[in-house]
Amino acid sequence: MAEDILLGDDFLRQLMSVGEVDLLVAIPTYNNAGTVAQAIQAIEDSYQQNFVRDRVVILNVDGGSTDHTTETILNMNGRKAGAHRGITSLRTVHRVTTQYGRTPSQGMALRTVLAAADLLRARSCAIVSPATTLDSSWIASLLRPAYRQDFSFVAPLYTRTKFQGLLARNLLYPMSRAVFGLRIREMYSDEWGFSGRLATQCLDQNLWGDEAVRARPEAWMAVTAICSGMKCCQSFLGPKAPPPAGSGPDIVETIRQTVGNLFWCFETFQDHWMDRTGTESVPTFGSDHELTPEDAPASQEKSFELFRTGVKQLDDILSSILRPDTLSQIRKIAGVEAGKFRFEAELWVRTLYEFAASYHRTVIARDHILQALVPLYRGQLYSFLQEHRASSLEEMEADSEALCLEFERHKPYLIERWKAKN
Amino acid sequence: MALQDNNLWYKDAVIYQLHVRTFCDSDGNGIGDFRGLTNKLDYLQELGINAIWLLPFYPSPLRDDGYDISDYTSVNPTYGTIDDFKTFLAAAHSRRIRVITELVLNHTSDQHPWFQEARSSRENPKRDWYVWSDTDNKYHGVRIIFLDTEMSNWAWDPISKSYYWHRFFNHQPDLNFDNPAVREAMWDVMKFWCDIGVDGFRLDAVPYLVEREGTSCENLPETHGVIRELRKRLDSAYPGKMLLAEANQWPADVRDYFGNADEFHMAFHFPLMPRMFMAVKLEDRKPIIEILEQTPQIPDTCQWCIFLRNHDELTLEMVTDIERDYMYDAFANDKAMRINLGIRRRLAPMMENDRRRIELLNGLLLSMPGTPIIYYGDEIGMGDNIYLGDRNGVRTPMQWNGGWNAGFSSADPERLYSPLISNPVYGYQSINVDSQRRSEHSLLSWTKSVIQTRNSFRVFSRGSIEFLSPSNHRVLAYVRQLGEEKVLVVNNLSSSAQAVELNLQSYKGHIPIEMFGRNLFPRIGELPYLLTLAPYQFFWFRLRRI
Repeated sequence: MAEDILLGDDFLRQLMSVGEVDLLVAIPTYNNAGTVAQAIQAIEDSYQQNFVRDRVVILNVDGGSTDHTTETILNMNGRKAGAHRGITSLRTVHRVTTQYGRTPSQGMALRTVLAAADLLRARSCAIVSPATTLDSSWIASLLRPAYRQDFSFVAPLYTRTKFQGLLARNLLYPMSRAVFGLRIREMYSDEWGFSGRLATQCLDQNLWGDEAVRARPEAWMAVTAICSGMKCCQSFLGPKAPPPAGSGPDIVETIRQTVGNLFWCFETFQDHWMDRTGTESVPTFGSDHELTPEDAPASQEKSFELFRTGVKQLDDILSSILRPDTLSQIRKIAGVEAGKFRFEAELWVRTLYEFAASYHRTVIARDHILQALVPLYRGQLYSFLQEHRASSLEEMEADSEALCLEFERHKPYLIERWKAKN
Repeated sequence: MALQDNNLWYKDAVIYQLHVRTFCDSDGNGIGDFRGLTNKLDYLQELGINAIWLLPFYPSPLRDDGYDISDYTSVNPTYGTIDDFKTFLAAAHSRRIRVITELVLNHTSDQHPWFQEARSSRENPKRDWYVWSDTDNKYHGVRIIFLDTEMSNWAWDPISKSYYWHRFFNHQPDLNFDNPAVREAMWDVMKFWCDIGVDGFRLDAVPYLVEREGTSCENLPETHGVIRELRKRLDSAYPGKMLLAEANQWPADVRDYFGNADEFHMAFHFPLMPRMFMAVKLEDRKPIIEILEQTPQIPDTCQWCIFLRNHDELTLEMVTDIERDYMYDAFANDKAMRINLGIRRRLAPMMENDRRRIELLNGLLLSMPGTPIIYYGDEIGMGDNIYLGDRNGVRTPMQWNGGWNAGFSSADPERLYSPLISNPVYGYQSINVDSQRRSEHSLLSWTKSVIQTRNSFRVFSRGSIEFLSPSNHRVLAYVRQLGEEKVLVVNNLSSSAQAVELNLQSYKGHIPIEMFGRNLFPRIGELPYLLTLAPYQFFWFRLRRI
């Protein structure tokens, strides 16, 4: 059993004391002493305001913090339970902390959470980030669909600024939507919800050693739910502040983690999506995603230069990944001047599908394939920003939807390349 | 006589609450009476209780189950005579059982001669014994207690053509305690019963004695003044008599009724009661711990009175809206089970006749700090009849045996003051004293045993309490201590087996001795003390350092 080797005696003792629960909110941490108290308070407030009768637990899984994150959690005094509003939880709100290792790993953190959820027989769970400025309503929005209804995976929706989340807009969302057939916008996120059933199913998978799962397990959970026929939905949370500049991974690492995970999911679940045609929307609680206006980012000339340089320097690698006609078109657009540059949707779709197929066939080291995608993404990003610098939110949304449809239209091409021997 | 020796007797009491009408009918008129009750005193002695709290037995129109008194110094002829009462009292005392009677201070029946005089004319000397007004605007905003029946705290008197104040039913006019003559009259009533020999009074509706404009008309300083005056006179003239307050308020507000040990000797702990039920239903000790943490210290000579059920609805006034909704959903999903702000059900049906839960709640009642009150019939698990109206469903005849009228009366069944409980689960044919006396495993036998154990150790009645905080919140554990006498109580509030580790470092070296089986458990050492408990199981351990 996975949990036999996963959970320490002290952690098990804590779980024994908690007993069966209805709701579990987990907060993975690593040196978050400065922000974790606010997040814990938001979770407790949500429990007090929305789930007063229910059996609840807050689970902190820590990746070896050295800044007293767990001590901060344990030493927090529970607010007298929303007493200012005359609302109080009828039951004990439990707090459990454990350390799953000496180095942070999202996959290991999630595995620990799933093991706890399984042992506690939690009906509905949510993962939240200590780095996010949490509103207590977010917790309820993530927990309710699995608790009150029959949903197994709950993806968040946010209010984002116009040019926030462009990797998801131009790659992750349209591609995952076309392949797996469900229109889930934010499959890669710091917050999500899931049912106890899905937790148990994922826990029992023998995939925890895969880097893709260890790095970005949330999308794997979503795809597991989709491919198991479980019900998925989206819950609107509200404005999501971007992380402070320089605090997150750079674009290379982000693509390695997210796109690498997505391609790995294509491969792992290939039996489930090959025959699937068309896409379906999923139930959405609250508003659909929202955009707010934002000035265009400063000049992206450097992105374009990195694109051109990358196409030139990685020609050998790209020629082993892309079909000749695709590479030829990319070489061609890399040659035009910045002002006239445009990465057409069809070319972008074919490029990505060929990258996915090459990843599947491991034509070269998979990590090299992902790194080779980076300059091309920079080019596509530059093209997108040039095109939408002055466009309205509606125009940009329409264009993104068109890109999604382009991915859907070319899905047979992905299958063809996927099955091809070279 | 030993009964006279102990002025703090109320702290060691286990009180049995009953209405004489419900207990035993000696003359076959279908209504219980004092002679019948006297005949059943051996049963109560055998049960192990040492005090009886009698609900009102005075002459009354009986529009509020006797709380509408029309003569304070007599016995309702239906229940017997004053001599019958004296005989009962002597018989109880001879069995070392004290008797507590009701004193309804706040109001009388509108049939009481005092009110009849008061309403007869505005000039009558008794006029000022009640609270009158030409308008119904005075004391605006004061809450109405009987929401289901009353629209206002004022009622129009067509005879004297003015309004009179009433906090309860409109046929129960409030007395005016600003009038010294009223206070004197009430002292005369107390003297009357003390002279006969009653041991204490349960004072009804205490917070409402005095009214003042611009206030809630509850818990006013002037009300405390009235109580202090009565207490002083009582202590002086009748040392050892006890006053018990009915003040359905938060503990911090009730605390004032103990004063500096110069008001009440005891007061009900109303908020604890629903939280004991809630804790078992939620399988979480939080409700109990929270309310006891909010409970202030009281003077050494004072004591809380705790109870599970009584003759009224299970009141939900001292809970939050959310808690009330939960209690309704958990225990009164049928609207007929609800009345006012409460639940009109007995203990056993509320626990779905689950012996384990009934025992657990009784175990809590008898081991927590305070003087416990057992409501008649709960010791055998009597059921209720929610269709009888008002709170009469929990006031049905005592079920003595499976024979004619449950052994309660020889009258024709149609003549009984109330139908018997006769359904297949709680009916008198299956739930009755005689059948349970025959089995040493019956609820009655168990109740006797647990009361006997409690009575054997004064730590339960007078000891301090220290709550332990095991991480398993389904377990409520505490240590009661009085001098060298220590008892560890561990309750599993949940429907599943539980393991719990108790930090008993302070008791290192002690041997826990389980108090019912007298079995020894392993000596307490350095490590947390591990116990496993079956669903709803509880342990009482005597901790001995040997």
